Amino acid sequence: MNEHLVLTIALPLLGAFLLPIIMRSSLAMGVWIGPVILGYGCWILANLWLHGNEQPFSIAIGGFAPPLGINLYVDAMALLFAFATQLLGLIFWPFRLDQDTPKRQALMLLLVASSTGLALSGDLFNLYVFYELVAVSTFGLIAASSSSAAYVATIRYLILSGIGSVLTLFGIALIYAQTGTLNLAHLAQLAPDQLNNDLGLAAFLAILIGIGVKAELFPVNTWVPEVYATAASRLSAFLAGLVSKLSMLIILRLLLLIFHQPEATQVILILGILGVISGEFAAWRAKDMRRMLAFSSIGQLGVIFIAVALPDERGVLAVLALSLHHMLIKSGLFMLADHWGGSLERLRGIATTSPLAAGLFVLFALSLVGMPPLPGFWAKFTLITELAGQTDPLYMIGLLVFLLATVIEASYLFRVAAKMYQTKPTDIVRSNSPDSGSLSLTTASLFGAGLIAATVMVSPLGDGLQAIAVQAQDVDLYIQTVLQQPLGEGQ
Amino acid sequence: MRNLTGLLFAGGLGFMLLSIAINLDFGTPTMLIGGAIQSNALQKTGATNIVTSVVLGYRGIDTLGELSILFAAAASAGLILGRRHTTAGTQTAGGFVLRHGGSMLFPLLMTIGFYIIFHGHLSPGGGFQGGVILAAAFFLPLLARPGAQLHHGTLSLIEGLAGASFVLIGLIALQQGKAFLQPMLIQDTLGVLLSAGTLPLLYLAVGLKVGAELASLLSHLAQTESDA
Amino acid sequence: MIPGFTLELILYSTALGLVSIGLAGLVLSHHLFRIVLALVIAEAGANLMLVLAGYRWDAVAPILTTLGEQPQMVDPVPQAMVLTAIVIGVGIQALAVSILIRIRQRYHTLDRNEVAELMDAEIAATAGTARDVSQEAPLGERPIPPITDDAVQVRGGRS
Repeated sequence: MNEHLVLTIALPLLGAFLLPIIMRSSLAMGVWIGPVILGYGCWILANLWLHGNEQPFSIAIGGFAPPLGINLYVDAMALLFAFATQLLGLIFWPFRLDQDTPKRQALMLLLVASSTGLALSGDLFNLYVFYELVAVSTFGLIAASSSSAAYVATIRYLILSGIGSVLTLFGIALIYAQTGTLNLAHLAQLAPDQLNNDLGLAAFLAILIGIGVKAELFPVNTWVPEVYATAASRLSAFLAGLVSKLSMLIILRLLLLIFHQPEATQVILILGILGVISGEFAAWRAKDMRRMLAFSSIGQLGVIFIAVALPDERGVLAVLALSLHHMLIKSGLFMLADHWGGSLERLRGIATTSPLAAGLFVLFALSLVGMPPLPGFWAKFTLITELAGQTDPLYMIGLLVFLLATVIEASYLFRVAAKMYQTKPTDIVRSNSPDSGSLSLTTASLFGAGLIAATVMVSPLGDGLQAIAVQAQDVDLYIQTVLQQPLGEGQ
Repeated sequence: MRNLTGLLFAGGLGFMLLSIAINLDFGTPTMLIGGAIQSNALQKTGATNIVTSVVLGYRGIDTLGELSILFAAAASAGLILGRRHTTAGTQTAGGFVLRHGGSMLFPLLMTIGFYIIFHGHLSPGGGFQGGVILAAAFFLPLLARPGAQLHHGTLSLIEGLAGASFVLIGLIALQQGKAFLQPMLIQDTLGVLLSAGTLPLLYLAVGLKVGAELASLLSHLAQTESDA
Repeated sequence: MIPGFTLELILYSTALGLVSIGLAGLVLSHHLFRIVLALVIAEAGANLMLVLAGYRWDAVAPILTTLGEQPQMVDPVPQAMVLTAIVIGVGIQALAVSILIRIRQRYHTLDRNEVAELMDAEIAATAGTARDVSQEAPLGERPIPPITDDAVQVRGGRS
């Protein structure tokens, strides 16, 4: 049963290869392939979640025992993110039918497969391969909206992410030259002796910048506003909601397992703080919805980076809570942006014409700002208590910046909300693509319902996340799970 | 000013990394997993070319990911360039020698390409190298006769089926109770064409896929080149 | 050979030099195609570094020729990884070039700053907002000349 987990990666790839061929002969059958594969993936993962025992396990791909071959490492955190990937892939499935449908859906399947791989893989170079696959399929999907601006946004994103992948590759080469292995568990075993030095730090920084491109890390996030403004909203929601979190997950894993230098966490903390400041101020000045969301996403990922820099399992808990919360909220908000489209000015008085959408916006905004009892409050509360408990003055700065950011966030979100509830409706606002308007509103409502459900179940959720965080933080468990046999004996 | 900072940044970064890299042991790698792979690669995968056994066996899923990347790049390029098919009318056709030389090279290139693919587990070479040669075989007529077109339907059929068969070979192993992408049907003979079980089949899939992918990428680029 | 200039220094400097040249080219070039080429150079440097990680003095290529006692061989893993990395690079470069072709057709320029400006104007026109300072990316360094409303119309309408 456990072995079948690999199907969540293999089947989407198979589907992507075959989709263009099948669609040419039968479109009616082809359109069901993607959703069915992703639904099956959700089913596998949910089954594993419900019926599996609590212990993490590792799957050796190709039957080669881990340090030699590639393995998938499956713990609660990986399962959670893999499930979120398949589910969000299903929710944001590109249904639209036109001549590009086969290619677009194939790329989406590749994107989901590689994102699942990012969540599960336990090998450094394999992570790089999946990361590049995420990048390339994303480029195709952004450019598929085929406006000139989308092409420019894509090429700028491609160049930035190319720099990132060169640096990542370089970091991997340094690590391999030093240790002679790529398996994360094996590296975790060797790291205290071999990577706790300048070379390890340089390799980590190179990989951090590389992976940070997708995690919207401060200096390499210039692509964010352009891409989110030109790509289809459903894709932006997937990228902002999920792909950024998966990159964050990789950084967190590397930090927990391999790189224990205090400088590494300091760099992340500083970059996170800068990201919060730059993102929130830019969001405050933004004049259209998508840009505002893009910049605020940079800000919130900065906050998550601050949480990543925290040392113990409470820090991991904060990362998980903030990530999941942001995943829910940002996906919902992007769907609302799809429903409305256009500049913030056009939202004036919209509450009278579409009260549900305006209500959802207020709900999301309240949770984002951290109004109790919504889940956002608990996520932020965890971070604040944890930051306040640190002695290093840098964390104090982090705390102050975080509080300031919350104030700015509240200011621009409620400015928009106030605009919506003004009595004077000017002209009737129509979405850019009227037929997708109702669909995106339905999707947004789905996320709203999820948020309310999370509010109701906040204490069992908190306990669950706590358990996940404790498990994720256990380096010895990771090493023992993956490296059951000593090197050389084979399977 | 910005140029100067850029230069300083790049140079400084390079120098810093150099000062770190120079401390690495050069020429005497630890070979922690490399050595272990060398000693049991033949018995596990049946390939005498150890790089092949790493590419298709130990790191098989990397290769699958890489094929997917090529597929994604070709599909994206198709999405971007495929809307308007303009034949390259402004280019002058090649002369007699060029055209017929191109036609005569076609069978030779095909032979070499397939030879390299099928012997990838025995000698240097393999699916990627052979695939590139196959792509060149198809692309050569396009260069010699600018009006000629590759049939995109056939190409996408080949690339889809080749990719799918790579995954399917992996899934068959899974279905038989082994691990995904585990090599099968290994015979313990050294240097024989059929010694490596499913590995040559995987490499054939890789070769066809790489060939079809590159050919379609190149023909997309060639067909849009002149209407800029 | 000059003392101090060992083979390893030369090889490592080559790898790092390629990366540095590539990065410098990325920062200095204004033509998008040159930027893509700079990326190719930087990637070559990273690949070379990967190959060097597995190099071994007095060793042969990792291909078995006889059963039993084997001569020393270089590490096969980095070679396999480089094969993967090169193919990935080729895919991305081909994609980049195809995007560049389209940009050239739409905007008739490949200058980095001009293209970025045209894009901003088009985004603003699509969203229905006037072009404003918030469109600067956090660390963007785009010079922004004031653009009048009719310029936005003209440029935005070209899609």
